[in-house]
Amino acid sequence: MQIEVLLTGIGGQGVQLCAKALAMAATADGRQAMLSARYGGEMRGGQTEASVVVADTGLRSLPILPSAGSAYVMHHQYWPPVRARLRSGAPVVLNTTVIGPPEDLDGASEFLTVGIPATAMAAEAGAPMAAGFVLLGAYASLTSVASIDSIVAAMTELVPAYRREHIQANEAAIRAGAAAIEAGAADLWVMAGR
Amino acid sequence: MTAALLQGSRAIADSAIAAGCRFFAGYPMLPFTDLLEAMSAKMPEVGGTCINADSEIEAVNMALGAGAAGARAATGSCGQGIALMQEAIAEAALNEVPMVVFNMARGQQDYWQATRGGGWGDYRTLTLAPKDVAEAVVHTQLLFHLADTYRAPVCLYGDYLVAHTHMSVDVAPIDFGPLPDKSWALDGTAGGTGHARQIWTWAMGRDDAPGPGPDVHWRRLAQKFATMGEAEARHESYRCGDAEWVVVSFGTAGPFIDYVVEELRADGQRVGSFRPVTLWPFPEAALLEAAGRARGVLVYEVNAGQMIDDVRLALRGQVPATFIGGVSIDSSGMRQGDLLTVAAIRSRVLDAIGVGAGERR
Amino acid sequence: MSNRSTEPDRGQEVRIEGARQVASSRADLQVSEDHHLCPGCGHPVAWRILLEVIQELSLAQRAIGVVGHGCYTNIVRMADIDFLQCLHGRAPAVATGVKRVQPQAAVFTLQGDGDMASEGLAEVLHAAARAEKITAIMLNNGVFGDTGGQMTAASVVGQRTKTSLEGRSPELHGYPVPVAELVASLPGAAYVARSAVNTAGGVAQTKRYLKRAFETQTSGAGFSLVEVLTMCPTGWFVPTAAGPGYLSDSMQPTYPTGPLKDSLRPA
Ligand SMILES: Cc1ncc(C[n+]2csc(CCOP(=O)(O)OP(=O)(O)O)c2C)c(N)n1
Ligand code: SF4
Ligand SMILES: [Mg+2]
Repeated sequence: MQIEVLLTGIGGQGVQLCAKALAMAATADGRQAMLSARYGGEMRGGQTEASVVVADTGLRSLPILPSAGSAYVMHHQYWPPVRARLRSGAPVVLNTTVIGPPEDLDGASEFLTVGIPATAMAAEAGAPMAAGFVLLGAYASLTSVASIDSIVAAMTELVPAYRREHIQANEAAIRAGAAAIEAGAADLWVMAGR
Repeated sequence: MTAALLQGSRAIADSAIAAGCRFFAGYPMLPFTDLLEAMSAKMPEVGGTCINADSEIEAVNMALGAGAAGARAATGSCGQGIALMQEAIAEAALNEVPMVVFNMARGQQDYWQATRGGGWGDYRTLTLAPKDVAEAVVHTQLLFHLADTYRAPVCLYGDYLVAHTHMSVDVAPIDFGPLPDKSWALDGTAGGTGHARQIWTWAMGRDDAPGPGPDVHWRRLAQKFATMGEAEARHESYRCGDAEWVVVSFGTAGPFIDYVVEELRADGQRVGSFRPVTLWPFPEAALLEAAGRARGVLVYEVNAGQMIDDVRLALRGQVPATFIGGVSIDSSGMRQGDLLTVAAIRSRVLDAIGVGAGERR
Repeated sequence: MSNRSTEPDRGQEVRIEGARQVASSRADLQVSEDHHLCPGCGHPVAWRILLEVIQELSLAQRAIGVVGHGCYTNIVRMADIDFLQCLHGRAPAVATGVKRVQPQAAVFTLQGDGDMASEGLAEVLHAAARAEKITAIMLNNGVFGDTGGQMTAASVVGQRTKTSLEGRSPELHGYPVPVAELVASLPGAAYVARSAVNTAGGVAQTKRYLKRAFETQTSGAGFSLVEVLTMCPTGWFVPTAAGPGYLSDSMQPTYPTGPLKDSLRPA
């Protein structure tokens, strides 16, 4: 089995960090992963996109994906190029605090969209900066691409020494996102007619 | 060891160290910079040296000195930085100092620079162009082996996709077999014994022990490069056996071509893919073998048309070669632009083989 | 390397004090009487001193020389020492690589003013700044001797060369680069001195400085540099015998000899 995920957002939302945590976690779980990143510059607010491919074994993928089987959307600004490459029916987790209800996203009906109020949940968990991790926890729980424990471990390894104090909040965010899926608390839209 | 998710640059650094590389010098230039940073982080752990040099000229000459003193040594850069290094790369070829040059190019426009070089004299630089991170890990170790085998500078042609893509890899030392000894290396111990060593492009030797001199030395070198040209050509081909059309590409473009070939095969098109793994020596015989019976060869490279020269030389006029690549660089200037996408390649291939828009899937 | 078409006279007696001693007996590490250079050339005097110093400090089986491009390259043909002949100007970078790999070796560069002050100023300054534990030796004759006597970055004001026929003019050509002073200004340089080989006293002085420079290296104190003023009667277009006098009259006012920095000396 092999699955691709396109991650998109705007600079400063932690999308690159989350992509790396996901790829590391999958590797730690004994799978193979490939991570490619593309930023529109290092500035906050700019386009940020990453792709992660995970395979049980024998990963075979291009570093620039022609198409993908799932998506993680933190912000709608750079959604159109992601949508163009998503295969129909692909699961898409999205941050409804920023984007609004899933049906507001152009072309959402082609996909299996899962809305998570990630920014709001992060704020509730006392970690307003960790919205990306909430959405990551939800994505992983939904797709089983990587285990939640491995994602927490990867995050812990990735957080730089001068941000150590954020680890606990990040972990809470990851687990909150995962729990939202497990509890069926997320807005799950399985669109008809796909 | 288990696999770890490593950035390509870090995987190459680990692989170089696994191969016994203990000296590295470089000057920052994207997308090579990450390799320099990875080397400077890892070298101290194994008691090696990594110097953040003050120019590419310094860096490559430091590596040459370290290689001459017997270490497995390397340097790297890209584009203009490699241009600055050419004098020393040629010198290492002519005075027979092994070293590895990691060219993390800004795309594919430096094929000529890599294969023709801008140094001086009758020399060649063996150049491996990996298709991805996993292959780069293997190539890195193979390059140190080949450098020592032939006492010559050798190069890796990577790019942003090799340097920056992360993959789960397991870097372990690879044994490529026995090597000639390094008794030629300078350690200073032979002075005053009548047998002091010399590394000298002109190979004149001492008055009491004359060397062969430039004429004989350079002829011998020409012979050595001819031998390497025969022995070290490497390639990969995919579904060329019955192909009417063979698409030739190099480096990270190769997997994109393979992907398009797979798609077009599913549509009933008889296309194949051929990739020179060594840019020099170019696998001429293998290409003629793979494409000799094809209707045509299509050359895809993300530049204005450089490798096509080697393709045409290899095909000896027996099969026509059509260029389907082009200049394409992204807005950062660091990597290939939109021409390196499956959709763009697919349409160029279909145009070239005369499949009209109406007949396309 | 020296690839001038004119075959230099061989084995001629050199009519200056220091060089006459060279012709009279061999240094232990010298394998040939033949220096392949012009009569009156100051380089063989400096070579001779260098070989004696290496011998006297018991460094013969630890020495590695990295030699640039100039007439002095011919030392490679007459001395029994491990040598790497490198690119023009790059010896300090090459020597850095050698030394880092063979830290126990006594690594020195042998360069000219064209090699070090013109082509390779960046390399020597950065090696000094890095406090590389190497000894750099610059044989300064104020011209590109090997290519026939053109102006280098070290040619003095007023000096006539093939590319400054009316003499080096500050207006046209700017001013000479004092390498020893530049290097001495860097904290990484532990020992810097300038000497000349045009007199017996200068020969003795050069020997003292070179010894000190190698001791600086072997003690691990840092970078050392000795700039040695040498005669090039051919490139100066003066009679052989006039070389030593020309050196003191024209070069020494710009390039005062003496130690510039000595970190080994107790305070
Ligand atoms: C890159 C490069 N440029 C130019 C030369 C030609 N060249 C050979 S020796 C030399 C002059 C060397 O002058 P210097 O170092 O002062 O030595 P000298 O002969 O005066 O002792 C030059 C310019 C060269 N070998 N390489
Ligand atoms: S040209 Fe000058 S430096 Fe060269 S050998 Fe003759 S005198 Fe010596
Ligand atoms: Mg000179």
